[in-house]
Parts: sequence; C-alpha cells; structure tokens
Amino acid sequence: MMRRLLLIVAVVLPWVAMAQEDSAVVRPVASAYEVGVGCSNITDTYLSPLEYDGLEFSLRYERRQAMKFDPERWSMRLAGAVTVDKTDNPVRNASMWYAGLDLSWGMTHRWRLPHNLIVSAGGSTSLDVGCIYSTRNGNNPASAKAAWMVNLTGELSWSTRLAGRKLLLRYQPTIPLTGVFLAPDYGELYYEIYLGNDDGLCHAAWWGNYFKMENRVTADWYLGSNTALRLGYQGNVLSTKVNDVTTKMVSHSVVLGVSGEFMSIAPGKVPHCDSRIISAIY
Amino acid sequence: MMKKINLIYLLMLLFTTSACHEVEEWENDSRGNFEALWTILDEHYCFFEEKGVDWDSIYTVYSARLEDKMTRYELFQVCSEMLDELRDGHTNLITPFDISYYHNWWSDYPQNYDARLWQEYYLNFNYRKASGITYGILPQNIGYINYSSFSNAIGEGNLDEVLFHLISCNGLIIDVRNNGGGNLTNVETLVSRFITDRTLAGYISHKTGPGHNDFSKPEPFYYNPAEQGRVMWGKAVVVLTNRSTFSAANNFVSIMKYLPNVKIVGATTGGGSGMPYSSELPNGWGVRFSACSILDPQGKITEFGIEPTEGCAVDLDPQAALQGHDTMIDFAINVLNEM
Repeated sequence: MMRRLLLIVAVVLPWVAMAQEDSAVVRPVASAYEVGVGCSNITDTYLSPLEYDGLEFSLRYERRQAMKFDPERWSMRLAGAVTVDKTDNPVRNASMWYAGLDLSWGMTHRWRLPHNLIVSAGGSTSLDVGCIYSTRNGNNPASAKAAWMVNLTGELSWSTRLAGRKLLLRYQPTIPLTGVFLAPDYGELYYEIYLGNDDGLCHAAWWGNYFKMENRVTADWYLGSNTALRLGYQGNVLSTKVNDVTTKMVSHSVVLGVSGEFMSIAPGKVPHCDSRIISAIY
Repeated sequence: MMKKINLIYLLMLLFTTSACHEVEEWENDSRGNFEALWTILDEHYCFFEEKGVDWDSIYTVYSARLEDKMTRYELFQVCSEMLDELRDGHTNLITPFDISYYHNWWSDYPQNYDARLWQEYYLNFNYRKASGITYGILPQNIGYINYSSFSNAIGEGNLDEVLFHLISCNGLIIDVRNNGGGNLTNVETLVSRFITDRTLAGYISHKTGPGHNDFSKPEPFYYNPAEQGRVMWGKAVVVLTNRSTFSAANNFVSIMKYLPNVKIVGATTGGGSGMPYSSELPNGWGVRFSACSILDPQGKITEFGIEPTEGCAVDLDPQAALQGHDTMIDFAINVLNEM
C-alpha cells in the first residue's frame, strides 16, 4: 500500500529522468549521498620513499536502478566520488596531498536467497583520475594518476528491522580485473613530459602491476517509507608497481549519508496503479 | 575439478603477488638515514659514469665513519662529505640547520664578474629594468642585457619592450655571468627571440630504473620562434659567460652557441646539466640531486661546462677593473664589431 501511495506522491528530482515506457513496470531510482572521513596512508616512490599518513575526506554519490531489459535480475549502479587526502611524512615536516575523482558504472545480476538475503555479482567500468602532490619537491612535485578499469563487483545484502524500522545491511566489494593506467617513468621529470615525451606513461593493468580493492559496508536505516540514514565503512587499497615506481594508497573511512528511492513521473505518463515496482536494492 | 583448483590457485597467486609491492624501508637512526641517502643516490643519480665515481667504494669509506651515538650534526657532516664526492652543484642535503652545497665547481675559478663595472662605468647607472632583465645601450651603440637569474619570469611583452628599445643598436650582449639558473621555460622564451625556425635545442634523457646504466634514449627537443608580431633579434649577439653561469643558464648557452650570428665570450660555464630530483630521508631531511641529463644540440654532455666560442675565451683583468674596465665586456664589444 505504501508503495502505491509513493507512486502518487512521488518526489520529483531534476537529475532523475526515468523513462517509463513499460507502464506495467516501474523502476525507481535509488540514490545516496555520502560524506566520508577517515585515515589515509600514501607511499609513492616517485615522490618519496617514505610512507605518509593523515586524513581523508570524501563526497560520494550513488545511483542504482533496475535494468529495463530484465529488471527482476539485473540492475545498474552509477557511482562517483571526490576524495581529498592530506598526509604528512613520519617526522611531520613535509606534506603530500591527494585529490581524486572516481566514476564507475556497472551492472549486476542478483539472486534472491532465503532469509531476505540477496547476492549480486557483475562487472563495472571505472575511470579514476587524481594527483598526489608533494609540498617539498621541485622538478618531481606531483604524481598524476589516471586509470580506466574493468572491474568485478558484487554485493551481499540483508534486510531486517531495527527499532521497528527497516534496516538494509550491504557489503559491496569491487576489484579491477584489467584496464589501462598512467604512471610516470622511473626518473622522468615533468619538464620532459611537458616537452612531449610520453613514452612509458601508459600501461596495461593486471594484478601484478595494478591491484585495487574497494570494500564498502553500509547500513541504511529507514526513517520513512523511502528515505534512510546511511552509516557505513569505506575501505580502499591501491597498490601499483610499474617503471620501478611503487604507489600504495590505503584508506579507511566512516561514511554518513542519506539514501532513498525516488521517481519522477513525466506529465501524461502517470503509471497505472497496478504497475509493478521493481527496486534495484530489494 | 583439477582445472578449477588450478584456476583458484592461479588467482590466489596473482592476488598475493600484487599485495607484495614492497617498498624499502630504513630505520630513523644514523645508519638508516645514511643507508637511505646512499641508496636514493645509487638508484637515481645520473652522472656516476661521466664523473668516474665509484659509489660502492664511497659507501665503504663513509659508512665506516658512522657511529650509533653520533649527533645529527656529525651525521650531516658525513653525509655532506659523501655527497661532495659527486662534485655536483645540483646536489644538496637539506636539513633544518644547514644545507650542504658543493661549491668548488665555481670557487676554484676566478669570478670574472663585478656588477658595479657595467652599472657605473658602462651604463652610468642609466639602465632600465623589466621582468628580471636589466638593459641599456653602451656608448659604442651596442645593446646590453643583463639577466641575473632564470628564476625571474620573462614576460613576452617585457621582452618586446627590451628588444624594441635596443632595436637601433649594432649588436647585442646578453650577460649571463653569475646567472645560476632557474626555470627552463624562461630559456625557451628568451631563445625564441633569436631563432626563425623550429630549432633543435638539445636532448634529454632520464633514468628508467635503479641500475647505474638504466637510461632512456636521449630524446630531442625543439624550440619554436616567438609568435608572429613579437619583436625578434636578427643582428649579431654575444653571450657573456663566467664559471657561475650554471644550470638553466648553462642550458641557455648550450643552445645559443649553435645559433648563427651568436658567439659565446668569456669563461667556461659552470655546467649543471642534470635536472634536479627531490627525495627525503627517514629523519625528514630533504635531498636534491641530478637525475635527468640534458645534452646540447650536438648530443654532447655539458655537465662540466661549455667552453666559449673558439678564440673568445677571456677573463676579467682585476687590475683593469680597478680602472673601471670590464675586460670581458670590452672583448665582447670588439667581437661584435667584427661580426
């Protein structure tokens, strides 16, 4: 009943444009906005042999929706994150900053298991760009990062209740399989790159030279019928070694956010009250 | 079934291999910091072979001076002396209390420069300044530009003003004595006023791995003339040098030397053709050293300096200087009058 009511009083969000060509199926968009704060460790031997540690701040957006071609089984996930790290060397007399933008889009197939468990698995593609900047270096002040990857991704979710309200617990791991990424050559300075020598900057990725793993654990505690408070953990591990340059970035963050399922209804296309609602997360 | 087990085993092997991107670590004590310094230089410094430096032997000599209880000042002394073995003006150990610096590359030579001479006796303090460039017209109708540091950014508009002011002169002296270098982009900006076509400016090579001979193939790089509408200089030019003409200024000389209608006058430059790279030690001390070699347009190394054009070597005569004569400027004027 609540879901039908939701259809009638749907929240209209300008960035959510959902075409409802099949009036028998409605696919709401599940969106989430998060802020994260945590600890970060960065080592990049192009800049320094020392491990820097400090804080990480992030903003994340996630959008999920059942796919049109097989909404019961397939769903898509679009995610974006802006991350800023500020770290210091062990004796605290130099700093490294990292700023990055990560975008990913993927599809997963889901299997409904007993006891409200859902397992999903699929693939995604991601584009990560960023830069580590050292405040103390001269001709090698920064290590630019860019990677386009094809990833394996999955999810285990369990819905239950807490204090009389719906609670959705999820674990989402993502691990890149292959792709291409950029890394400066061992001793190449940016002036040479500026002159146009880009040999040795672009590399094919495999687990031996590029390993990344993203682990997310989130708990969505629903305050209303379709809006939830999100508390979670975001852990990222990146380890690359190419051109005899090793980069390691490890972060652990607590995330706090809001999530919910929303729909926009185009004028004159109000779905029939018998339409099936197929959520991407239940 | 065996195939599945093998696949799982392979995946686990890949996973563990990737997790083993080890980074060498050192203790933050005297030996650890010394080892870190020696290793960073061992893996990144670019002129071991050209300078005939046996870095392993140097390790043996200087590591023997390490003591567990030595003070940071004593450690600095040992490390500084070890770096001095490289005979490199681009190599420094940077600490909160001192910066090591190898100075013999210029202090073992006559300075050949006294700014007061050209300021007072040649321009009578009647000179202009624009964008780090001091300029004026000598009584012999020769334009004079003194550029003291390539760290001072050169504006294209400023260069237009400078060259336009000197446009009626018969020749031009560009004095880069005591110019210790700076940004190579300023070299390009300045050179672009003296070339009419895309010009080979040199070759650049970098380390591709930690081995002493791991270098990339020298990559040619080119400079383009200034954009249309800018004031260009096509008359005779003398570039005036001394031993303290170093680093980016040395690079400027290496390019100008091969341009037509340009002569290098003065003393052999100080070199410094290795672009510096930065790193640090566990105790937070910074280290800077030559890591990326720039060769001249003929592919020759200029780390040890660039000699003047044949027949154009000249020193500053101290006795003449007492009379207000800069014998190097006098020589340059004569060279220009004969070009």
